[in-house]
Amino acid sequence: MSSETAFGTRLLAYSARRLAQAVPLVLVVVIINFFLIHAAPGDPVDMLLGGMDTDPEFQAQMRRELGLDQPLWVQLWTYVSNMARLDLGYSFRFRQDVGALIMSRLPASLLLMGTSFVISVSFGILLGVVAAYRAGGLLERLLTGLTLSGYSMPVFWLGQLMLLVFAVGLGWFPIQGMVSLRTTSVGFDRVIDVAHHLALPALTYSVYQLTLIYRLTRVKMRETLSREFVKSARARGLSELRVVFRHAFPNAMLPVVTVMGLHVGHMLAGSVLTETVFAWPGLGRLMYEAIGARDFPLLLGLFTCISVAVIVANVVTDVIYAFIDPRVVYS
Amino acid sequence: MVREAVTRLRNREISALFRILLLLAAIVSTSCATPGNDGATMILALEGEPATLTAHLSSDLPAVMIASNLFNGLIGYDFDFNPTPDLADSWEVSPDGLRYVFHLNREARWHDGKPVTAEDVAFTFNDVLAKVHPRARRWWSNVVSAEAESEHRFVITLKEPFAPFLTLLGNRLGSGTLILPKHIYEGTDPRTNPANREPVGSGPFKFAAWQPGSFIALERNNDYFKPGLPHLDRLVFQIVPDASTRLLAFERGEIDFLHAYIVPYEAVDRLREDGRFRVVERGLEAAATNENLLFNLRHQKLQDGRVRRALAYAIDRKAIIEGALFGLGRVAHSHINSGLGWVHAGDFDDYRTRDVSKAEALLDAAGFERGTDRVRFGLRLTHDAGKDTERRAAAIIRDNLREVGIEVTIEPFDRPTYIERTFRGWDFDMALQNFVTGPDPALSVSTRYHSKQIRKAPFINAMGYANVEVDGLMDADMSELDRGQRVAMWERIQQILMKELPALPLFEYPTLNLVSAGLEHVVTTPNGYLQSRELARVR
Repeated sequence: MSSETAFGTRLLAYSARRLAQAVPLVLVVVIINFFLIHAAPGDPVDMLLGGMDTDPEFQAQMRRELGLDQPLWVQLWTYVSNMARLDLGYSFRFRQDVGALIMSRLPASLLLMGTSFVISVSFGILLGVVAAYRAGGLLERLLTGLTLSGYSMPVFWLGQLMLLVFAVGLGWFPIQGMVSLRTTSVGFDRVIDVAHHLALPALTYSVYQLTLIYRLTRVKMRETLSREFVKSARARGLSELRVVFRHAFPNAMLPVVTVMGLHVGHMLAGSVLTETVFAWPGLGRLMYEAIGARDFPLLLGLFTCISVAVIVANVVTDVIYAFIDPRVVYS
Repeated sequence: MVREAVTRLRNREISALFRILLLLAAIVSTSCATPGNDGATMILALEGEPATLTAHLSSDLPAVMIASNLFNGLIGYDFDFNPTPDLADSWEVSPDGLRYVFHLNREARWHDGKPVTAEDVAFTFNDVLAKVHPRARRWWSNVVSAEAESEHRFVITLKEPFAPFLTLLGNRLGSGTLILPKHIYEGTDPRTNPANREPVGSGPFKFAAWQPGSFIALERNNDYFKPGLPHLDRLVFQIVPDASTRLLAFERGEIDFLHAYIVPYEAVDRLREDGRFRVVERGLEAAATNENLLFNLRHQKLQDGRVRRALAYAIDRKAIIEGALFGLGRVAHSHINSGLGWVHAGDFDDYRTRDVSKAEALLDAAGFERGTDRVRFGLRLTHDAGKDTERRAAAIIRDNLREVGIEVTIEPFDRPTYIERTFRGWDFDMALQNFVTGPDPALSVSTRYHSKQIRKAPFINAMGYANVEVDGLMDADMSELDRGQRVAMWERIQQILMKELPALPLFEYPTLNLVSAGLEHVVTTPNGYLQSRELARVR
């Protein structure tokens, strides 16, 4: 009992330390992003005022109000010191607090990412294990061929294909959006309605991850299944299920967990195309719009959130590691 | 033992699969149960999310599309650009063109029940538009006063006569003249007032919900001051950024309206044959948008008028209509779009038929003969990479010009970069750019070609074109109230522009909107793409 508590405490202390170490890292990321964004050609005021022939005085006034007339160093200092107070600034384009804006799109993003993550992890691992177990069989070859094409298919093209087959052709799913707009639903009907809209984007979005996890699981599983300790487990007369899932599986999962952790960041940044094709109101599209409008505060805010998510995901990965692999000791 | 395990595994797989299929079936069956259209909801596609739901801060198209249903202007205009009543029932203009009196409708109410008065109108002009609208200053400097003379009488006095003034007041885009409630905005910063996102208007529809990134819903204003209007119960503006998805959603009946700027040209012919949809061929006359090939007149070769005329002869504009617009739209024969029928003059286009030998002769005469590699010189062609029509047009222009010995390098940039290079940096040789030419050329053509517009700012005279006669005519036109006189002046301007070609008009954008067949009266003004839908109804 006490050793388990100690393990828990150590893990907690370790996570806290890792997160604290991440603070300077985030700062460096913010500074680099800041200069990168400002180095891009294009003027946020032009994008904001849009139309022709705005008064030059008015443009100058606007630039003053947005703080864009200040030297870059001053702008950076203002940004970083505001960020220290958890204030991510004010979006040029959307005339709203960046924090509030990101929060308003976060639920849709998390729903899409979470669902895709669950689909890709569960099916990726399941199929990977099955394929490794039936190594060389027809099933493995079929799955490997399928996943190879899944892996190399561009998301927007796959999305269009899904739409044509499942929404237009078979009529099973709606084309786009998050809810039906002709009717208003509440409660359980609403949940079903959202799930109905979620199905295609979540499937599309999970394909790439799924194939990646499948291929990694299959290779690692095959490797592990041929190891000496598996043979000895079989020789001891353990059931096949126990050999596969208790002895081989945890060992094969270590690299898979690493890759999944690394991909959390990618998922956040890579959702632009899926969200655009299915008109899903998530953060990826918000980022795309922010780039198009040269909305510096919003872009910086999003980039910062993504880097924080990547860092947190890394820490979580390490913690999961500790659970799977008893050899890993954090001190 | 192995077989047993495998069987168990298989059983598990199968039961898991079965459960998923059941779930899918449940989802699918519920969807089939929902009716297609409840009859009184119209869903309009937006290409991007608006920043606010009002029109006083920018000429952001999605924002104005929504705001024109939530608010009213003083007046509107019809297809002949004659003013029509909105908040104002009637109006008088003094003979010298300086004093405009508007009589407001006495029944008009804000969505919170308070009456709409001349105070609101005066406040909107003096305290909002004059201060925060990006384009208002251009004409506001000509205003002496804008006052409420009584509860329902609003008077605006000008310094100089201004020909397009009523058109400007009736224009929803660009002049921001939708009237705001004083009691909501007074004493606040009109740029950050929360009502910008949850507006209190006077219009046919009331704000209902805004799901960020997804949709904006409006509901019927049951106390609307125009009797019997609106007909529909709900308007929903849905944000669908991808063009192919918009088309699929429209065809599936998820969307009822694709406005003129987002109509997928390639699908129009097919949809025309389909009874579920209607192609409405009007509603862009006020924008009257032309695509132009801008020439940088600072360029050593392009500053020679013979070279520009040679390019006009060499470029096959009919092929651009076929190849870039799928046969829709028209060749533009003037710098003013033919949608502005009263002032458009298309007779000065000498380049109607493609003439390669004439082009070659002009280039030879200008002294730019073919080199040993058969090439005369090279030119860059810049455009906004996000516009498919321009991308296709650029390829055709490149092929056309290669025939006469000019090597074109196409330079597509993302929109902000394109604007910065072309209009702020003047770093281009030729650029593809659409120019709105309506609702009055004094508002939108003079601003492109007058020499005082050679400034580093978006969508104005980046070409560096200066012609004293054109300047003089445009200045005189501003304060000329007689339409006949104006037409004569504009005829001369169009003649000069077609001869000197600071820009070659390529084509007129097709005036097409796609509407579900179940709806009618959706497009009833020359601003059909962004107008109020108070008259729209179920067929």
